[in-house]
Amino acid sequence: MKKRIRHKTILLMNISLLAFGGAYAGANVTGSYLYNLSDFGGNIPYDWSRLAVDRERDEVYVLYKNYINVFNSSGMQVYTFGDDEYLGHIIDVAIDRKGDILLLVYENTKTPVLIHCNFRGVPASKKEISDLYPEFPGFRPNRMIYRNGNLYLASTRQKKIVVTDPDGNFREGYDIEPMLELSEEEKKKVIDIEMIGFSVDSDGNMLFTIPVLFKVFILSPDRKLAYFGKPGGAPGKFGILGGVIRDSQGNFIVTDKLKATVMVFDRDYNYITQFGFYGLRPENLVAPDDIVIDRDNRLYITQGRRRGVSVYKLTYD
Amino acid sequence: MIMLKIIVSAVIISLSAFGFCGTSQAFHSGGVAECGGCHSMHTPAPGGSFLLVGTDQSSTCLSCHEHAGDTGPSSYHISTAEADMPSGVAPLQRTPGGDFGWLKKTYSFTVRGTTTTEDGATHGHNIIAVDKGYAVDPVNATAPGGTFPSAQLACNSCHDPHGQYRRLSTSVIAKAGAPIIGSGSYDTSTAPAAGQAVGVYRLLAGNGYTKASATFSGVPVAVAPASYNRTEAVTQTRVAYGTSIAGGHTTWGNWCSTCHPRMHSTGNYVHPVDKSFNSLLAQTYNQYKSSGDMTGSTATAYLSLVPFAENISSYATLATHAKSDDSYLTGASSQVKVNCISCHRAHASGWEYGLRWNMEGEFMTYAGLWPGTDTTPAVPQFHRGRTGAETQSAYYDRPASKFAVYQRVLCNKCHAKD
Repeated sequence: MKKRIRHKTILLMNISLLAFGGAYAGANVTGSYLYNLSDFGGNIPYDWSRLAVDRERDEVYVLYKNYINVFNSSGMQVYTFGDDEYLGHIIDVAIDRKGDILLLVYENTKTPVLIHCNFRGVPASKKEISDLYPEFPGFRPNRMIYRNGNLYLASTRQKKIVVTDPDGNFREGYDIEPMLELSEEEKKKVIDIEMIGFSVDSDGNMLFTIPVLFKVFILSPDRKLAYFGKPGGAPGKFGILGGVIRDSQGNFIVTDKLKATVMVFDRDYNYITQFGFYGLRPENLVAPDDIVIDRDNRLYITQGRRRGVSVYKLTYD
Repeated sequence: MIMLKIIVSAVIISLSAFGFCGTSQAFHSGGVAECGGCHSMHTPAPGGSFLLVGTDQSSTCLSCHEHAGDTGPSSYHISTAEADMPSGVAPLQRTPGGDFGWLKKTYSFTVRGTTTTEDGATHGHNIIAVDKGYAVDPVNATAPGGTFPSAQLACNSCHDPHGQYRRLSTSVIAKAGAPIIGSGSYDTSTAPAAGQAVGVYRLLAGNGYTKASATFSGVPVAVAPASYNRTEAVTQTRVAYGTSIAGGHTTWGNWCSTCHPRMHSTGNYVHPVDKSFNSLLAQTYNQYKSSGDMTGSTATAYLSLVPFAENISSYATLATHAKSDDSYLTGASSQVKVNCISCHRAHASGWEYGLRWNMEGEFMTYAGLWPGTDTTPAVPQFHRGRTGAETQSAYYDRPASKFAVYQRVLCNKCHAKD
């Protein structure tokens, strides 16, 4: 309990510094626009697609309308599969260390299953998720991330996370809602308090955003929940949160759908910079949402208005 | 340790001064939300308006109210992202107002050699939200039965984005008079005490709210169950619609006729709107279970596919009728009113004209199945290009067995001609 209080105290102090506009003298970070994911016909006009990154093979996967498109490190499409009705409705995709493809699928749009495919997307095995986790009855995940030998399944609506081995066997589970310490008034409308962005950093910390609380949360594997964020129009404050990830330096990278920016915070939650901004030029963003990062600190960001997936490069002074 | 306590106290006090008090309330809280949630003082969208950050008003709303990656009905989402609606997959949300995603579901089917395309735009109100792929109505230049320009239709045509209309402790609707303490839309909403107010139902436009050629005369009465965006596969979602014309209220039909005046039956030869059932209609509604089955009873007669407005103005009473667990299914009395939402969904539906059921064929179910390209391929006039699962989704996941094996359209819930 003492540790928890101290942890929160440090957080409060950090947020206090933000509120007072405290200057940060950390490393500068710059986000430079590179290109949009494309095929030989040009930019592909995705609209709020789902992303996954294969760090081992330096490839990025885009899930859109039941098609999975694979892009190389130059942002060109090299392979596509999906839209096979027998697979069901594909909700998310992850790639394990061997390059096998894992699909989170809803059969008949109702029953969540985990499909293990080879590197070509050919199914090899299938497991019904509802059978796997008796500790989490009725678990209906809609996000899936592979990281360091673990498979993270999250239900952003139910605010639950299950960690499994790559075959889907239970390792750990987290029920987020009780950790949020909601007020009685908030509990009345708890259904509206939904996780949106979700990712896992290299240390196994689970990151997520809750837009109606204007906060980014960091859940460590040992169940410590930290958070930062405050609503507002000034740089470093949040409008409508989208995705969150961490870069190789430990910075938090956050998308804001309303402000149409990508914001960078250091590991102590100090605001560093933002880039993107609303507009129709290639380097601008419209309603940025999901975000992933590859091993070369390239950011892949989904957008609205059929603007596809924009790719930025992070550089550090 | 004492020093630590002093530091903690100082930090908390300083944070309180800046409005940080633990976690925030959910966004709207019955009234005007966080200003910075929609507007930017210094970096609004270039060429935009009202210092909004989104391209337009509805795009701004959908920044929150649509989310890619949903697998089913999800809290406050009222639109399904295109990414989540591949061919054969219906929109996912099940709010009483309906999922705007249906506007993007265009179907084609061939009957006796003639191919018909049912444009998704016919499925509801064509809000304009450029960032989210919603465009102006391609057919109607103005609201059917009115003059409201389709090119200006947005979420804020019907909802006051600032939520200024409030219900005072006296149940009078006003734009001022007491601070709004929270949402007034739900059965769980706190009743306002003297000196307090709650937001009006769904932040709807109230008396004097004007957009283009339309000026509203009041807000209608309703209470929704707190769990409202949900499948009705097992139990129904009952919004308790009420009736009042006092204290800043108006009837549901009059509220809709702000933009659709020639659709209201007052002075127009159209289906009655805001009219009370007579005892025969009430008896029919209550006895009707399905085509050919008139064995129903008043206690279990309610069907959310054909809702009505009760002749009740008390929010407290309506709150006891707003249920999502089938604990209150009492049917019609001779005093309940038929109105626009008895047949249409306010946002969009799986059927043409935002209707709650398919009116383009005589059968809703066929041979005990929901019609579909996969389930009943021989009767394209009933599946109209949808899969059986999509048809079921349009009926909010009810099993076909809830109806007759050959169920006729739901006009018959009140008229029983089948």
